[in-house]
Amino acid sequence: MKLSIPRFWRRRFDYYSIKITECLDCGRKSYPRRSICVYCKSRNVRTVTSAGVGEVVAYTLSYYRIEGEEENTPKIVALIRLDEGPIIIGEVVDVDKSEVREGLRVEGVLRKLKSEDPGGLIYYGFKFRPLIRDR
Amino acid sequence: MTSKKVYIASTSMVRVGRYFTKSYKELAFDVVSELFGTSRLGDLNNLDYVIVSNVFSDSMLDQLDISAILAQELGLTPKPALRVETGESSGLTAIAQAYALIRAGLASSVLVIGVEKCSEYPTTVVNKHLTKLLDYEVESIYGFTLVNEVALLMKKYMREYGYSREDMSSWSVKMHSNAVKNPYAQLRFTVTKEQVVSSQVLSEPVRQFDSFPISDGAAAVLITSNENLIVGDDCLEVEAVYQATASQLNLRDELLELPATKHLLSKLLNKCKFDIGDAVMEVHDSYSILGYLVVEELGLARRGKAPETINDLNNVNLSGGLKARGHPIGATGVYQVAEVFKILTSGLGDVRRKAMWGLIHSMSALDVNSVGIVVRRCS
Ligand SMILES: [Zn+2]
Repeated sequence: MKLSIPRFWRRRFDYYSIKITECLDCGRKSYPRRSICVYCKSRNVRTVTSAGVGEVVAYTLSYYRIEGEEENTPKIVALIRLDEGPIIIGEVVDVDKSEVREGLRVEGVLRKLKSEDPGGLIYYGFKFRPLIRDR
Repeated sequence: MTSKKVYIASTSMVRVGRYFTKSYKELAFDVVSELFGTSRLGDLNNLDYVIVSNVFSDSMLDQLDISAILAQELGLTPKPALRVETGESSGLTAIAQAYALIRAGLASSVLVIGVEKCSEYPTTVVNKHLTKLLDYEVESIYGFTLVNEVALLMKKYMREYGYSREDMSSWSVKMHSNAVKNPYAQLRFTVTKEQVVSSQVLSEPVRQFDSFPISDGAAAVLITSNENLIVGDDCLEVEAVYQATASQLNLRDELLELPATKHLLSKLLNKCKFDIGDAVMEVHDSYSILGYLVVEELGLARRGKAPETINDLNNVNLSGGLKARGHPIGATGVYQVAEVFKILTSGLGDVRRKAMWGLIHSMSALDVNSVGIVVRRCS
């Protein structure tokens, strides 16, 4: 058994939604959810759920081969600026590599991250696809 | 408390490479035997501590407490031993910890051994272990790895300063030409810009020849405050050591700066007054874009100019750097120190410089845990 139930389960809300940190002192927002503000080090922070919509700031097409990730190679990895402000690193899916570009509007979508096939655990988490509906 | 002088008294290395017929124990044995043979360490009475730098012993060698296992294997018991791990900068952290033990008066001589054995498994497995350099819970679990972040950075740099893919290849060409002269380098051959731009894509625009090779290696360094252990003129004094950490890529306001490196360099260069243009330097260039950014942080090139000026820099990574000397992960920082030692004293092969100062820089991943050391020739 390579995947861990408690390890994933305790962070399920971080994987099944996009949680960001909002600093109540300096006002900046950051990803991921933490108990401190990475910018001013304040502990006076709260967790906010992102709407999961943003745009691609930079992207790369990755052919880098990692054991266990063969099925998902090549993949598009991007820096995405969420509409709430913070930048997140995310995978862009459901798009031809010729169509991905800086400025592309994307939305979060729940996808499989890892699995222990056959019949094993599956981890799900957020990836990003081109925005297909208005919010 | 009197402030103790801390010296680098002796160093040894095996050539970086892929040792299919040798274990990590044999590589460590070779460098420690050479060190005992050439240093004045003599018997174990002069040695107070053993520090082992290694990153992947539990991942790839099924071994915890590798420092005790090596102490047994190398005949170093009952000396105290420990392993340090700060990702790719582990080797230089080990040197920094040896310095700290001596400065604190807890040891007068420390043997630092850097050893890594990456060739035990195929590349895809090594790559999997390398993903652990990032934050598993927020980065690697999604399948992201260092080379992806490096690619985003390189793309941004090329866009910002208007470089073509070919322009960005000058680092690799320079490092390979340096490595040809380093007898301990893994990739002792020259490459052309055409070869770099036509090598395999890892994460575009990053290609294989922008990256370090998979390497095995072992190096040993004797750090001491005991002047009796200095052999002839072969001696460096450690002048200053600083370390710093930094946030991951997506939290940085300035993507094209290296925050931890910037922080520690300002402290190092504030404490040690020397002309950096005259110093011999070994810096961390796991990927060519990181080499350019380090050179810019050092002030050796203006922002955005490093790809144009690297060819004229003849005091940086004379070893060939991580790119061409190779990158035996946990051993790399120890190699860098050994190389600067040899270049400033008896020579790294035929590579020898009359300079007084040396600077060694190492970092992990995208500058998240970095170390800088300034050394000065004793005579
Ligand atoms: Zn804040």
